Amino acid sequence: MVSFTIDGLEVTAPQNAMLVDAAKHGDVEIPVFCYEPKLGAPVGACRMCLVEIEGIPKLQTGCSTPVKDGMVVHTQTDRVRQAQEAVVEFLLINHPLDCPVCDKGGECPLQDISFGWGGGRSRFIEPKRHFQKPLALSPLIAIDRERCILCYRCVRFSQELSEDYQLVLEERGAHTYVATFDGHPYVAPFSGNIIELCPVGALTSQPYRFRARPWDIEGAGSVCTLCPAQCNVTFTVRDERVLRVLARDHAEVDDGWLCDKGRFAYQAVHVDERVTHPMIRDGGELRRVTWERALAEAGAALRRAKGRVGAIVGGETTNEEGFLLQRLMREGLDSGDLDSRQGGTLPLGLHRALAVPDAQATVPDLEFAHAVLVLDTEPVDDMPIVDLRLRKGVRRHGVKLAVATSRPSSLDPNARASIRYAPGAGEAFLRALGAALTPGGGDVDELAAGAGADAGAVRGLAQLLRSAGEDMVILYGERLVSGPRAAEAAQALLEVASALNVTGGREGAGLLCVPAGTNGRGLAEAGVLPNAGPGYAAVDGGRDAAAIADGARHGELTALYLLHADPLVELPGRDRWAEALERATTVVAHAAWLTEGLLEHATVVFPAESYAEKEGTITHPDGRLQRLRPAIGHPGETRAEWSVIADVARAVGLDLGVLTGPMATAQLADAVPFYAGLTLEEIGGKGVRWQTRAAAAALPAAEIQPASLQIAPSAAPANGRLRLGTYRSIWNAPEVRVSPSLQFLHPKLRLEIAPSDAQRLELFPGDHVVVGSDGHTVDATVAVRSTMPEGSVFLETNALEGPLVEVRRA
Amino acid sequence: MTKPLLLKGIDEPGLDTLEVYQRRGGYDALRKALSMTREEVLHELEVSGIRGRGGAGFAMGKKISFLPKGAIDKYLVCNADESEPGTFKDRELMQKNPHMLIEGMIIAAYAGGINRAFIYIRGEYELQAQKLEQAVEEAKRAAYLGEGILGSDHSLTLWVHRGAGAYICGEETALLDSLEGKRGNPRLKPPFPANQGLYQGPTLINNVETLATAPVIIRMGGEEYAKLGTAGSTGTKVVSVSGHVQRPGNYEVELGIPSREIIYGLAGGPPEGREVKLWFPGGSSAPVLTADDLDVPYDFDSLAKAGSMLGSGAIIVIDDSTPVVDVAMKTAKFYRHESCGKCTPCREGTNWTVKMLERIDSGEATPMDLDIMAAVQENIIGNCLCVLGDAMAMPIGSMILKFREEFEAHIEAARARNELATTDEAPPEALIQGAVA
Amino acid sequence: MAIDPQRVPRFGHGSRVPGWDEAADLSKDPAEVPDPATTPVPEDLRARIEEYMRRYPDPRSAVIPALHTVQDRYGWCSPEGIEQAACVMRLTPAYLLSVATFYDMLFTTPVGRNDVFVCTNISCSLCGADELFAAFHEHAGEDPEFNLRAFECLGACDIAPMASINGQYVGPIRPDEVPAVLDAVRRGEEPLPDRQLKYRKSTDPNAA
Repeated sequence: MVSFTIDGLEVTAPQNAMLVDAAKHGDVEIPVFCYEPKLGAPVGACRMCLVEIEGIPKLQTGCSTPVKDGMVVHTQTDRVRQAQEAVVEFLLINHPLDCPVCDKGGECPLQDISFGWGGGRSRFIEPKRHFQKPLALSPLIAIDRERCILCYRCVRFSQELSEDYQLVLEERGAHTYVATFDGHPYVAPFSGNIIELCPVGALTSQPYRFRARPWDIEGAGSVCTLCPAQCNVTFTVRDERVLRVLARDHAEVDDGWLCDKGRFAYQAVHVDERVTHPMIRDGGELRRVTWERALAEAGAALRRAKGRVGAIVGGETTNEEGFLLQRLMREGLDSGDLDSRQGGTLPLGLHRALAVPDAQATVPDLEFAHAVLVLDTEPVDDMPIVDLRLRKGVRRHGVKLAVATSRPSSLDPNARASIRYAPGAGEAFLRALGAALTPGGGDVDELAAGAGADAGAVRGLAQLLRSAGEDMVILYGERLVSGPRAAEAAQALLEVASALNVTGGREGAGLLCVPAGTNGRGLAEAGVLPNAGPGYAAVDGGRDAAAIADGARHGELTALYLLHADPLVELPGRDRWAEALERATTVVAHAAWLTEGLLEHATVVFPAESYAEKEGTITHPDGRLQRLRPAIGHPGETRAEWSVIADVARAVGLDLGVLTGPMATAQLADAVPFYAGLTLEEIGGKGVRWQTRAAAAALPAAEIQPASLQIAPSAAPANGRLRLGTYRSIWNAPEVRVSPSLQFLHPKLRLEIAPSDAQRLELFPGDHVVVGSDGHTVDATVAVRSTMPEGSVFLETNALEGPLVEVRRA
Repeated sequence: MTKPLLLKGIDEPGLDTLEVYQRRGGYDALRKALSMTREEVLHELEVSGIRGRGGAGFAMGKKISFLPKGAIDKYLVCNADESEPGTFKDRELMQKNPHMLIEGMIIAAYAGGINRAFIYIRGEYELQAQKLEQAVEEAKRAAYLGEGILGSDHSLTLWVHRGAGAYICGEETALLDSLEGKRGNPRLKPPFPANQGLYQGPTLINNVETLATAPVIIRMGGEEYAKLGTAGSTGTKVVSVSGHVQRPGNYEVELGIPSREIIYGLAGGPPEGREVKLWFPGGSSAPVLTADDLDVPYDFDSLAKAGSMLGSGAIIVIDDSTPVVDVAMKTAKFYRHESCGKCTPCREGTNWTVKMLERIDSGEATPMDLDIMAAVQENIIGNCLCVLGDAMAMPIGSMILKFREEFEAHIEAARARNELATTDEAPPEALIQGAVA
Repeated sequence: MAIDPQRVPRFGHGSRVPGWDEAADLSKDPAEVPDPATTPVPEDLRARIEEYMRRYPDPRSAVIPALHTVQDRYGWCSPEGIEQAACVMRLTPAYLLSVATFYDMLFTTPVGRNDVFVCTNISCSLCGADELFAAFHEHAGEDPEFNLRAFECLGACDIAPMASINGQYVGPIRPDEVPAVLDAVRRGEEPLPDRQLKYRKSTDPNAA
């Protein structure tokens, strides 16, 4: 801390803080437009923050001058006032002052600063510039160039934060304007952040346009549940409708950014397609019924099926809902057949081993680590906001980034090393990497060949990781530890992590899993696993998702409980699930919209709450419990789902003993030893990482079976056919499909293929093709990508399962 | 005038080739420098007292001494983006004697322990860029550039980098951004280029003429060089004289001679029958001086004392046939066109000033607008990110201050043409157009 | 609701800035870094740009040389040319366009193949550059063969009023000489050989 004088006040402030920030410690506000520390180093462009510093003849920009001990600063002298008034007058020269019809009016820094620091007059009598406006910058963002004050925040975001380099300045001087290349729209995963960054009304949200004034609205803080990033948000609410989503800056979760899905998919809350009342299947069709009828129907059917019920729990389910459901299943329906993981069971010991606090990396660790290995995940699709964090780490803190994936990654240009392996060969790749890391660990050439990876690249990666430094984070996708060989893959992962000393309890090093579902971690910890009860407690093994499908197909299970899940569209094994749903007598579903599987097979449908209506907690992939708070009331007849589960339980004869949401949280905290004592109050607005609490020690110790000596199966040789890799893009979500302004982003099925493969098959970009595997086919259009590894193709689907596919022209 | 140092024999045929340059003793200074230690070379440059010839007038030796020592990637950038209106001295030096610049750069790089150098030359100078590229090729072949120059441990790579037309790239940090492949926006200082310049590395940036003088200083010795000129402005300076003079061109003078001697003695003064009305002593960014200031000694300190600056050493003479409003308009429009747009006062202030001047010229202004215009200049000065805004505000401000009467007459006359006059009396024509009818 | 500018009087005045009125075409895909697989680049263009990229510690420094190269080849920095350079340099075309529009010598709209840059800055205008430019404009303003521009100081005030014609400085030029100058350019000859800067001797009497 240093002490300095500002406007006559003695103030202490952190060393090296910029004056504008240091001044706040003395309750002095220095106005800024271009300064935004989140965007990187200050640029000093707007000149709004000029201050007088004794001993320096010229006025200095407070945004770029670090405070020094004994500095004497003035912000209220005539000279400073004159400079501030001058800058405001300059900025308003061409600003249209059309505040009455501007969305920003009332929450506009330009208004506030003009009022607070401007001279209140203008001597500019020349005609202002006028243009047709607003203009579309993208389907989501409107640009009003008259209002722009050229603070460059938006272009700095595009160039230095999201690094999409699509939004730039064109021309020079007073002619400078913000634009894109040759009329292309600015469409990128994080484009919406520029709306929030804009200090004037130049960039406005198309969907929010003219919807409300600041005095019409209320802000309600909660958490976005659309992906595992769990960004903190503020819902803008007017008349019980969510009209907008803003970032609620949390340095350890989202850094104050949102992806466009999180920012705009709130529209899904209010679409007509949404289910807002209970329904039962009657005469082959879903019909609206009363709650009493629906609960009675579900209760009777489940009671009949007692012992033969399977439950699938979707990723957006809260900890409380998941916890109550597993109680309903295990205590009320005598069934341990429940799963929240898409890709198969992991032995309990491995679950525990991967969850130990010593092995846990946090989101900020990604930014400050010496090295980060991104393994089998594409952050921008799987946990978008982490993509920005990784870029920030590389750009600002020199993080050495390595990417090991099957599909080319958007982070490749930022990585010191990028390595490809065959789709599905994650385990084989880890064995090869492990061999390269450990002297005498095996034949790297052979193992790499088995993974479809380049042995030299594997050795290079090992060398990079070994020499990078101690703080290392491995960010891996859940899909790596999924599938029939999930256990072997997890073991291989732990071995590599151990060879790199990632799991040794070092602060700043660790593993971070990107779960397939938003609350994947919380649901596992709440006991929504076939082989674990709350707190990874040992239970008698039940069926996992795939086994539940088989159980239903074979008639061993007669009822299915689908909590926020439609296995037909979300889970692998589409054909098996179609059969399972067809065969099941009872299909109880909690759903916000009727997707394919529910529309055809659900027998009872309870309306699901949207995330803006929910109360409860979810757990971030790094162990942070975060609190959802209802921003709006329930539409139609929707009810709190913890209460619906309790009602169903009552209908099957089980009293769960929850009368309020907080009671459900309390039960959860009692049941999960390492959550012990957690209350909603403690979680508060910023969340709590359970690993940082004393109760963390209650996590059961991991018992790992000795490493299997099995060699991972080699990736399938192509032999003229192509290996199939699948992925799920950020835009492949039901919320995107139903949100009017986001619909245009909902992906069309594209076959990504390497130029050489395309040439061999005589395919050209845009060609329509049929892709087939094991008698199943899907239609797709060809997208030739030069970065695609030869011999592999990628499709955004779970309709096909590899490993090999054939491609022919449609 | 003593013998010129830079322009001496500049028209000798083939001077732009290595052969002729060497025949005249070229690269001997480099040999001498390489036989000295880096510290000795730096010492010579420091005692020579030479100040930067590009505009800011910062002592060259001191600039080199600011570079951090040690084996890190350091850069030398020659600022050949000569764009200051009225300035064309570097053009002649590069075109006719490119090797002198290259030799000077190798010497400066040696003194600063620098191994990578670039010449950033304005895009418009195609011929000069070609000459430089040829000379660099020749110098590479002759092992004056590359690894272990002339058997020493000094290595230097040198590339000629062409700009693409932007005055602001003459500003050193904008030049660095431009050289890094960005828009030429100036950077915040600090950090200064000596610490964090090109590619974030320590960088020495010098003007063509400054670097081209380095061989001269090494040859004659810093102390000898310092005997030329005045105590605060040592040496000789190539002065570009243009505008209303009979013999426009580059003249090398010893600093400190009376300005009148340059304008009248060398350049021949205004055409027959005309008088000097105002003049820019150091490019269009310098506050204007009037006929009363013709006897001011032409050196850094005297011109500063007279309220202006030596700048790039470019004298633009305007005689009494030209209205000051026209000069102000040209000046303001130039800076509006060249403002990069990054900071507010410059971007908006230059634009506003042009609009007010247009109104003055079209008869839609009143004398009150002069006060506003003067106040706008005040609001620009000292408030900008770089000096471009000041570079307009200072001359425009000085014109309003020194020629207010003429501005007011211009306003009245223009209003009279528009039948908006506030007085019945038309102002005397002479005041608008100057004394000459 | 779009406003029809024809019907709004206030659109009728105020300075106009090209580009400011342009909206994005929502039917286009976003302009990302062009994929080499779908962006054919002429081999000579690629080779030259790659040669430039090797000169600098940071290949991005080659942006201006690359844009000069594109302009040399296509006559202007066309969207296709920019995309090709972006593909070679692994940058977005927007980045290159942003740089191109900053500089006066890079043209992002089609221009005539003969550059005639007339200096109209202070020194030249004191010597009649505005009249010279008017003469050029009269004789070549509409001629698609010529890329006629009024330029800021070209650094040749000693030969004022002057012009840079296809990169060669010529001056002083009298307005009445303009038709002859243009004819010479059309014929591919050097206009006013006696007044080409490259032959000009120093004015300093002591220089000899």
